[in-house]
Amino acid sequence: MIEGLLHDQASLLNFVIFFVLAAVLLLVILGFVTYAILAERKVMGFMQMRYGPNQVGGPWGLLQTVADVLKLLLKEDTIPKLADKPLFILAPVIAFAPSFMVVATIPFTDKLQFADIGVGLLYYIAVSGLTTIGVVMAGWSSNNKFALLGGMRAAAQMISYEIPLVMSVLGVILLTGSLNLNEIVAAQENVWYILLQPIGFIVFFIASVAELNRIPFDLPEAENELIAGYFVEYSGFRWAFFMLSEYVYMFAMASLTTVLFLGGWLPLFSFLDFIPGAVWFALKFSLVIFILLWFRSTFPRIKADQLMEFGWKVLLPVALANIFLTAIIKELL
Amino acid sequence: MTFSGELLAFLCLALVAVIGGVLLLNLTKVVHMVVALVFTFISLAGIYVLLSAEFVAVVQVLIYSGAITIIMLFGIMLTRHNDTSEPKGGALKKIFLFLGVLGFGVAVYIGIYNLDFNPQATTLHENNTEQIGMALYSKYIIPFELTSVLLLVALIGAIILAKNDNKKEADKE
Repeated sequence: MIEGLLHDQASLLNFVIFFVLAAVLLLVILGFVTYAILAERKVMGFMQMRYGPNQVGGPWGLLQTVADVLKLLLKEDTIPKLADKPLFILAPVIAFAPSFMVVATIPFTDKLQFADIGVGLLYYIAVSGLTTIGVVMAGWSSNNKFALLGGMRAAAQMISYEIPLVMSVLGVILLTGSLNLNEIVAAQENVWYILLQPIGFIVFFIASVAELNRIPFDLPEAENELIAGYFVEYSGFRWAFFMLSEYVYMFAMASLTTVLFLGGWLPLFSFLDFIPGAVWFALKFSLVIFILLWFRSTFPRIKADQLMEFGWKVLLPVALANIFLTAIIKELL
Repeated sequence: MTFSGELLAFLCLALVAVIGGVLLLNLTKVVHMVVALVFTFISLAGIYVLLSAEFVAVVQVLIYSGAITIIMLFGIMLTRHNDTSEPKGGALKKIFLFLGVLGFGVAVYIGIYNLDFNPQATTLHENNTEQIGMALYSKYIIPFELTSVLLLVALIGAIILAKNDNKKEADKE
């Protein structure tokens, strides 16, 4: 349907249709983010032997995040006097927009996808790199030492972990022979890539946690050394945008992991295919999200020098070796 | 002339690219200039998409988002926070500049006006990445390899320069 729309004459109706579709996707993602934050707090609570939110909205705290967001929206929006005003205002926009753009290319089921791009996988990695610019801008324009340090760390970390991330998916690309996410899922009809590419999967998963700036790689916003890193001067709605982009990336990265290594919407066994693809996708996606939350509540943060050494001296060589190995195996088989 | 979405998209992208370029030259703070550069590069990537070169477009974003971040870091580290560059030069320089711009414009206009591309392949957008790969590894293999050697030389050169500097500093101390 979208293909047809793209080749139509430009008209107001088309614009409205696209706008409504994008708005619906945005609402779905906002709903996910609301409950991902609640899930994060609940899971962390249970892992640390406490309850987590249990007051607002019943015993499960179902309305806790809604109340938090309302509070954020009502907060005073402060801009420091010595901040670089235009950049300070632009930074959250530049940080958030790419996070929403990457979701468009992810195939949730064989029918449910917004843009079937031939180079979908590269598109995801390229566009998600743009967020770094927004983060560095935020760090610089706040005119604050901690913010600048956080921004610098974010830039160094995201650039050095983008390389192992790209290298680790090259194995998948080699086996599929395509960069298209739909074809990558289709190629996992018999065996998922997590079984064919175990090394690639481990490198990809570690690098993706680093790209998401989550514990144990959350140095750009390390609370106890940098207060909050690059968004220390932000408040209210603008701060909410940084948080939002982080969680949207979590959504996108978990979806990408599902698509690349866990077979997307394909069922676990072929006799289980009476269960719709969307349910399978949701199950695998929730599993990845749960592992991310699990990491957060069990790992300590690593040091900045260890972070760089690990990225360049461990992950990158392992990823390169994996490409080599995959190429040999592909030639032999 | 039909007013298609493609034309509209091209107009928006071209406008953003040109405005980004002009701002890059006219802004005074280095970080602002880099942000203007971001807009230019991204809209160029958009124009590649319109020309059905999606692989080139994505690589443009992939390479330049990292590169621009690095430029921004250097800009932050090598200048003071409130450093601004002031416009220099008198009226004479401005007149020469204007003449130069005008001359360039005329040259480009003459060059483009009667330019006739041979009938183009219409299948470029199909399996774009695969076609680029085939061409690179069959027809243009030697230039491709030479480029990689050149990049390697640059990389090693940079490492040697950085290392040497360190040693001298250590010797001095």
